Amino acid sequence: MTQKELDYYVQGVTSQNRLVMAKTITLIESTLPAHQETARAVMDALLPHTGKAVRLGITGVPGAGKSTFIESFGMMLTQKGLRVAVLAVDPSSPRTGGSILADKTRMEKLSVNEQAFIRPSPSSGTLGGVARKTRETMMICEAAGYDVIMVETVGVGQSEVAVASMVDFFLVLMIAGAGDELQGIKKGVLELADAITVNKADGDNIDRAKMARQQYSTAMHLLSPPSPDWSTPVMMCSSLTGTGLAEIWDMVLKHRKIMEEKGELERKRHEQSRLWMWALVKEGMEEWFYKNAQVVNLLPLIEKEVVGGRITATSGAARILSFLQNYSLTTT
Amino acid sequence: MAEHPQMKKWKEQAAKELKGKPVEALNWESPEGITVKPIYTAEDLEGLDFVNTLSGMAPYVRGPVGTMYTNHPWTIRQYAGFATATESNAFYRRSLAAGNQGLSVAFDLATHRGYDSDHPRVTGDVGKAGVAIDSVEDMKVLFDGIPLDRVTVSMTMNGAVLPILAGYIVAAEEQGVKQEQLAGTIQNDILKEFLTRNTYIYPPLPSMRIVSDIIAYCSKNMPRYNTISISGYHIMEAGANSVLQTAFTLADGKQYIRAAIDGGLSIDDFAPRLSFFFGIGMNFFMEIAMLRAARYLWNKTVSEFNPKNPRSTILRTHCQTSGWSLTEQDPYNNVIRTTLEALAAALGGTQSLHTNALDEATNLPTDFSARIARNTQIIIQEESQVCHVVDPLGGSYFIEALTGAIIREAGKIMDEIEALGGMAKAIETGMPKLRIEESAARRQARIDQGKDVIVGVNKYRVKDEAPGEVLEIPSTVRDEQIAKLKDIKSKRDSAAVKKSLENITKVAEKGGNLLEATVQAMRLRATVGEVSDAMEKVFGRYVATSRMISGVYSSEYGDSDVIKGLQKRTATFLKETGRRPRMLVTKMGQDGHDRGFKVVATAFADLGFDIDISPMFQTPDEAAKMALENDVHIVGASSLTAGHKTLVPELIKKLRASGAGEILVIAGGVIPPTDYDFLYKAGVVGIFGPGTSIPDSADKVLTLLEQKYLKK
Ligand code: B12
Ligand SMILES: Nc1nc2c(ncn2[C@@H]2O[C@H](COP(=O)(O)OP(=O)(O)O)[C@@H](O)[C@H]2O)c(=O)[nH]1
Ligand SMILES: [Mg+2]
Repeated sequence: MTQKELDYYVQGVTSQNRLVMAKTITLIESTLPAHQETARAVMDALLPHTGKAVRLGITGVPGAGKSTFIESFGMMLTQKGLRVAVLAVDPSSPRTGGSILADKTRMEKLSVNEQAFIRPSPSSGTLGGVARKTRETMMICEAAGYDVIMVETVGVGQSEVAVASMVDFFLVLMIAGAGDELQGIKKGVLELADAITVNKADGDNIDRAKMARQQYSTAMHLLSPPSPDWSTPVMMCSSLTGTGLAEIWDMVLKHRKIMEEKGELERKRHEQSRLWMWALVKEGMEEWFYKNAQVVNLLPLIEKEVVGGRITATSGAARILSFLQNYSLTTT
Repeated sequence: MAEHPQMKKWKEQAAKELKGKPVEALNWESPEGITVKPIYTAEDLEGLDFVNTLSGMAPYVRGPVGTMYTNHPWTIRQYAGFATATESNAFYRRSLAAGNQGLSVAFDLATHRGYDSDHPRVTGDVGKAGVAIDSVEDMKVLFDGIPLDRVTVSMTMNGAVLPILAGYIVAAEEQGVKQEQLAGTIQNDILKEFLTRNTYIYPPLPSMRIVSDIIAYCSKNMPRYNTISISGYHIMEAGANSVLQTAFTLADGKQYIRAAIDGGLSIDDFAPRLSFFFGIGMNFFMEIAMLRAARYLWNKTVSEFNPKNPRSTILRTHCQTSGWSLTEQDPYNNVIRTTLEALAAALGGTQSLHTNALDEATNLPTDFSARIARNTQIIIQEESQVCHVVDPLGGSYFIEALTGAIIREAGKIMDEIEALGGMAKAIETGMPKLRIEESAARRQARIDQGKDVIVGVNKYRVKDEAPGEVLEIPSTVRDEQIAKLKDIKSKRDSAAVKKSLENITKVAEKGGNLLEATVQAMRLRATVGEVSDAMEKVFGRYVATSRMISGVYSSEYGDSDVIKGLQKRTATFLKETGRRPRMLVTKMGQDGHDRGFKVVATAFADLGFDIDISPMFQTPDEAAKMALENDVHIVGASSLTAGHKTLVPELIKKLRASGAGEILVIAGGVIPPTDYDFLYKAGVVGIFGPGTSIPDSADKVLTLLEQKYLKK
């Protein structure tokens, strides 16, 4: 990579050039090793410019109203003069690899707002891959001076855990009327929540929303809070009419204030970086392992022996892992 | 069910004729999921409670009127409108003189969506796909010399229904025709706008209030006027089969009944003035049976509300032949298709009919094509002698059994919708729209494989066809409209207009009859856009949420080398360039045709593309921003309502101006071949018109991208 190329990306992003931001995100999303190498250099250069934004993760089952929430919430923030970036990850089809990225159809106003930048991304590839791309895209938006970054993730798989581990504030959207079973949202997700909001509290749905809010409040008492200094509030809002959105923003700011005062925000981000490195190591290790020619040759043979009952699973695993010892670790 | 005494023997004989193939191989599974057998007998009529009933009597299967066409044939009612009111008026007069019997007004999309012609969001729409109406002055010109107390007028208007209906009332008034004399129909069917037609303005709740206000006003002041035309046509044209069309349409009807009753009316106050609008496609017997079944089901549905007046339970309908079944290729074939469809509508017992023109897939009709379309009906009525007998197919084992099957299947879906809490709730869940879109994607896959034959498209295609005569609406229509708007605004009593508009806002907010308030404003020369804005202040503008289907196209296509080959190429593109080919599919202007847009998006995703979808109704500016931000390789603009020459070049300009000139631009939809050169010169790199198979367009798009991005 040339210096000129590096300058193109870094200067473009930091000077808030929409086109270059878009291209930089494409670069970090690329699966080509050459692009990835460039991307690493670009990200290293952008690092000093990152860290200032409010990072929000937003999850909920499909149809809970995440995109609609982001549309209204984002519009509210831009009206306060804030610049807002939105990252949405859409599932790629495991069979055909293609994807349909329709998020902007639900963010009609925000998507044409000059103070907003919205980038939908196909999830293609591994969960770790998604996490890396989303995290780095978030950093690109930060370097471009966006004040608030929202990451939308579907709360049914594992991606929300990954997202929760890269944001400052994790908001779970729920809807009323689906009974007290947790709507396919796993308990674990609620434990990650910094706030829960019952969405669609409007029209003839208000009473049901109130009831749901009550139920979730009770349920939340049984779960451990994400931080000793914070107990997860259960709120209510309508992304359609906008009621309750201002309160949610106030809550985000309150949370931030407390976390900053207690030094938790910094600690959280450091911890996130540390865990992130380990996640990368794990992923890199697996990738490297499965690509290794020896492993590729050896695996089926050893598998066969285990399946055939000639050796135990334990000694099969030991044999596979033993060859790792032939490699040595270097720093730098 | 009993079997015909000789059925066993028939089957044996059939087996011999089939040389060993099982007789069941002759069963045909229709798109509705109805199994059609090779032969029907009296035994198939067992348990059908409507066989051998009479027309004009419940359950009305054989016709809503006793004498049917033996006394009066159906009304020939051709839907038309284009450019300015002056030009449309001249067209109406010519057409009435040549055998058209009732007017049916097609408005342009700016009007439909409540924008005046000078609005920046409608630069490519004014007068293009219908007539531009900005105020009562235009309305008066539109009906000049047409006596509104004698000629019935049908108006296809749903979104901007208040200013348009009010404008019509005032235009009549100034012609000297009183409200109570007005006979005709306003479509006013907002539910199906959210489902398929896409000319909504406000969200569902206030939209339903508008419907109720109109029903209330008309049942008081315009007793001869049909306040709503509950439409299945658009549902079918978006992809629904006959069972879905029937079920969704009648469920819509039921929702309107509930709304009117909630608004304080009693069923007999308004139900006799509800009318219907069905679409008639190429599945000949199915279409006939559908109309019969619909009348049965409507009778049953309304009866649940305990009407005293039997007229309340009668389904009267207008029909239109299917435009979707008509092709750009070998267009004279379309006359034959339309004839068959028109005959099916007649045999099904329609009350009025529109027949499409042979240039349907290219442009609005020319005088020539409009004449042939009109004559298609006149010839059936006056030369074919089919009008002498009521329900001539009544008693046909097959038709009666098929009628029973549609009643059963559509009834099931109607029950399903009831369980969801009625059609408004069902639409909220997205269920009906997804079913229609799935049906459309399957249809496309079957056509692309040649399983569903379309002559001239996937069979017996003519090479090197010469383009025919094209009706093009000049962009100067917009300038004319803008000049007229300026003129009206300079002459009217501005203070009074302002007050009347504030009153509309107040009525919208606090209650009262919106049509009454709008009539006052239109009288004072408020414009369609101003009235719409006055309500938007309270109601807001509705934004559709698109849920997308995926995997349907490829699964209907099945295991095929064509699909696999394309999937391999998208995978190779990923391997070589680091990402999948990424395409933004967008709709610019007020064009609401989203069938092709959705089919293309879902099918391309199945082929391994990453597909971005824009919201509907984009400006070129907005589409360019989205393309740039999402960093797509290519933008595909789907354009069906003649905005392409304005909007697509504008998009290319915007992309170039923002440094994203390397993003390729292609266009699809209803684009007359005579415009291809113009678009290529503007920088478009591919054009895909009606009848393009998806694998063909995907192949061309991939070739463009491979040439640009892959190392040779
Ligand atoms: C279906 C239809 C409707 C349905 C639409 C339902 C829906 N939700 O989509 C209904 C009944 C609601 C409707 C209404 C109207 N319609 Co209409 N409609 C049609 C019709 C009959 C077929 C269109 C269609 O869906 N075809 C099937 C799809 C799959 O094909 P397609 O969109 O062309 O896409 C294919 C290719 O073009 C290509 N393609 C298209 N886009 C893209 C994009 C990319 C990237 C690629 C690669 C390929 C590609 O690939 C696709 C697969 O082959 C056409 C006439 C015709 N036969 O084409 C008229 C037509 C488009 N309608 C017309 C009009 C005027 C209207 C109205 C405006 C009438 C009025 N004044 O009220 C209304 C309003 C609609 C609106 N909101 O815009 C006119 C437009 C006239 C013009 N261009 O000059 C037409 C041409 C009929 C006519 N001759 O009068 N309509
Ligand atoms: N009544 C109501 N509907 C909402 C609200 N938020 C979202 N919706 C609707 O719920 C549906 C799903 O919303 P969407 O944002 O796409 O959900 P997502 O899948 O979680 O992103 C859409 O039809 C929205 O219009 C709300 O606050 N009130
Ligand atoms: Mg979403």
